[in-house]
Amino acid sequence: MTFKSFGAAVATAGALALAAGPATAAWKPSGPVNFMIAFAAGGGADTQARLIATELERTKGWKIIPQNVTGKGGAVMARKLKTQPNDGLTIGIAVTETFGYNMLAVKKAGYSADDFTFVTTTAGSQMGIVAKTGRGWKTIEDVIAAAKGGATVKLGAMSAKLADIAYVIQQKYGVEFNTVVMRGGRKVLNAITAGDVDVGWVAGIQAKGVRAGDLVNLMSGEAARLKISPDAPTLGELGIPYVGGAKFLIVAPKGIPADARKGIADAVASVLTDKSTKAAQFVQRAFGGPQLISGAALEKLIVDGIAGSKKLMAATQ
Amino acid sequence: MGILDHVWLGIVAVFTEAPVATVLGLPISITVVMVALGFLGGIVVGATPGLGGPFAMAISLPILITIFGFNPDALLPVLGFLIGIMKGATVGGAVPAILFNTPGTPDSLMTTLDGFPMTRKGEAGKALRIAHFSSASGDTFSDIVLFTCAPFLAITVEAYLDFPEKAALIILSLAFISAVVGDSVWKGILAALFGMFAAFIGTGEDHHPRLSLGSDALAGGLPLISVVLGVLILGEVFAALEDMWREKRATDAIAAQAAGGDDRLKLRDIRRILPFVGMSAGIGTMVGALPGIGSTLAATLGYATGRRLHRGEVRFGDGAPEGVAATEAANSAVSGANLIPVLSLGIPGNVAAVFIILATETISGFNPGPAVFRLTPDQVNAEMVVAFGLFTAMVLANLLNWTIGGVFMRSMGIMVRIPKQRLLPIVLLLTLTAIYAQRPEMLSIYVTLFFGLVGYVMRRLRFSVLPFVIAFILANNLEEAVRQAFSATGADPWFLFSSPISIAFMALAALVVVFFARGRERKAI
Repeated sequence: MTFKSFGAAVATAGALALAAGPATAAWKPSGPVNFMIAFAAGGGADTQARLIATELERTKGWKIIPQNVTGKGGAVMARKLKTQPNDGLTIGIAVTETFGYNMLAVKKAGYSADDFTFVTTTAGSQMGIVAKTGRGWKTIEDVIAAAKGGATVKLGAMSAKLADIAYVIQQKYGVEFNTVVMRGGRKVLNAITAGDVDVGWVAGIQAKGVRAGDLVNLMSGEAARLKISPDAPTLGELGIPYVGGAKFLIVAPKGIPADARKGIADAVASVLTDKSTKAAQFVQRAFGGPQLISGAALEKLIVDGIAGSKKLMAATQ
Repeated sequence: MGILDHVWLGIVAVFTEAPVATVLGLPISITVVMVALGFLGGIVVGATPGLGGPFAMAISLPILITIFGFNPDALLPVLGFLIGIMKGATVGGAVPAILFNTPGTPDSLMTTLDGFPMTRKGEAGKALRIAHFSSASGDTFSDIVLFTCAPFLAITVEAYLDFPEKAALIILSLAFISAVVGDSVWKGILAALFGMFAAFIGTGEDHHPRLSLGSDALAGGLPLISVVLGVLILGEVFAALEDMWREKRATDAIAAQAAGGDDRLKLRDIRRILPFVGMSAGIGTMVGALPGIGSTLAATLGYATGRRLHRGEVRFGDGAPEGVAATEAANSAVSGANLIPVLSLGIPGNVAAVFIILATETISGFNPGPAVFRLTPDQVNAEMVVAFGLFTAMVLANLLNWTIGGVFMRSMGIMVRIPKQRLLPIVLLLTLTAIYAQRPEMLSIYVTLFFGLVGYVMRRLRFSVLPFVIAFILANNLEEAVRQAFSATGADPWFLFSSPISIAFMALAALVVVFFARGRERKAI
């Protein structure tokens, strides 16, 4: 057992212990913790980060200073974070793609995955290709059939990666969509509602509309089927070996002390698994519940993500 | 259950749910308290140079959610507070524009054109009263339109506006603002192009930060608030400081602000400004119902139309009360109509509306969208009740606006008595503090100071700053819309001329420029 995987095992045990009762001698930051948020103020991702900070202050007595550092899909935050002291008093929150596709898509990103210690994920997307129910489509195959029948299909994608995956789908089925890249899933959803695009990638906020019967998930962009639409096939089931979804990720500069890494991961886990906290309730509502991956499993997730992104880029060159 | 039952349930929900106190035997519900708090907070925020409604909404949303939680009974208090801020900030925004010539937002820049000359003539109190009357009237009118025709209006608008039309609409707005404001069409267009250049630094779809010269500070783009407030407020403060310095050298004293002019708002004045208020309220409401354009265009359109209509002895720009009325009625009329696309489609028309959507996304029980106004026999549509609760909260905020808002505006007139040489440094400090609070790093201060200098130079060269500011704000929307229109039409290079509506918008944009350029030349001769 390497030290890291040992740490992971302890982290999981620690999380369980915290959920069950009071913890033994947990790590405590020696001062206020700077918390860089790679998302714009007021949005769902920002609210999640701020609620986690608030609950850490309330339940653990830590002092946390949240600050929005936005731009370039998290790259601006990553470049700033990597230069900060690695004492556990500066952490950031971004998405896994910041250390995957977004990083690889630029010639000089100014950082690499090796510049960071990855602490824990908090929640994940429920990525799907969505259409209005009124279109009469049930799965992505209906859309492909429509495109083959000569209809112009406009597809909204909130990132270059998702546009790439859409391109792989088109190649596989020999159809052509007009892919429109937009900033954020909210804009894609608006465009679907307004009829500006026919279908689009949306990362989870479609849940309300799907429940109300106005929207339908045509396929899942995650490795597993979507919680709310178990009938929609996954990319993998359609023979497309990529994952479109992403996870929120707490990250620190390279080489923070092992006990700090574990201490932060444990504390976040205890906040998000305690259903009485506002953070846990919000994550449940907005992202369908917490997804806590830390330690070696998280490192594997990042490595796999980089490999998958490279393969996707090679396939769409 | 008919519509009227839902209206009644909405009103009841606002006034009776969760009472927090009793006044004269009447229970005061939490929603009423929150609307009032939001409104008062909004006025203060709006009247503070450097702060604006959207900023206050962004800050308060996570706090409100921490306090009220995510259950449906949190909807009305939280939305009530946000609406209170939105309305309060719109009214308060006229205060610094009129009193100090420093508009807190681009919306109130046109207010300075006549508001500040009125202050110089000693009519600050009257200007504030007119701003309040017009703002409240425009707001009320817009709300009435929202209540009566929210559902079908937005659906019609959205059905006709696709990506190419949206791109053409932004081009039309930019052409209009460049052509109408300032004393030369070509200077206006130059200023707009400069604004777009500044907006293109570090932005764009590519992951590589363009035009940033390898600097991390520029990679995330120039901070919006620093650029806008630098040009609008610091530029004006610098210019005013220089004026004072010259004045002191010439006369060895700084002229105090004139006082004792006509400070009252008489029935005769109201009768005089009423046509302008009515016209501008209509314009503002129309612009508000269009997606993604916003209140600055409304204010500019209102002012320009008012200038055409005006036949009085005091010309627009020399302190005509009609100028203040035309601007304030138009920019305030946007806020109600902006909620038309929000409630019926779930699409925000401007920044303030974005936070209403975010709040409903976070709290369960209300999904803005077509389902909100659906009637099912024998069943209560809970979402429609919330929608009418929201309308009730807006009416409530309107009433507060007419009463407390008026008292507040009248009391603000006192600030004119503070000597300029004391006041300007305070405005400067407040602005820099407000900017730093919103983005706590020194870079935002440096950018503000730099663009303050830009604003100063533009003023001295008689360039209008509004085209610069608006182009800076809209440039990224325009780029997005153009990119999206291009890809949605399957890479058609003529996408701007692909439908009758977009052709009409483009033709209008060209016409506006030609028309105003010719008009000016003739005047020059």
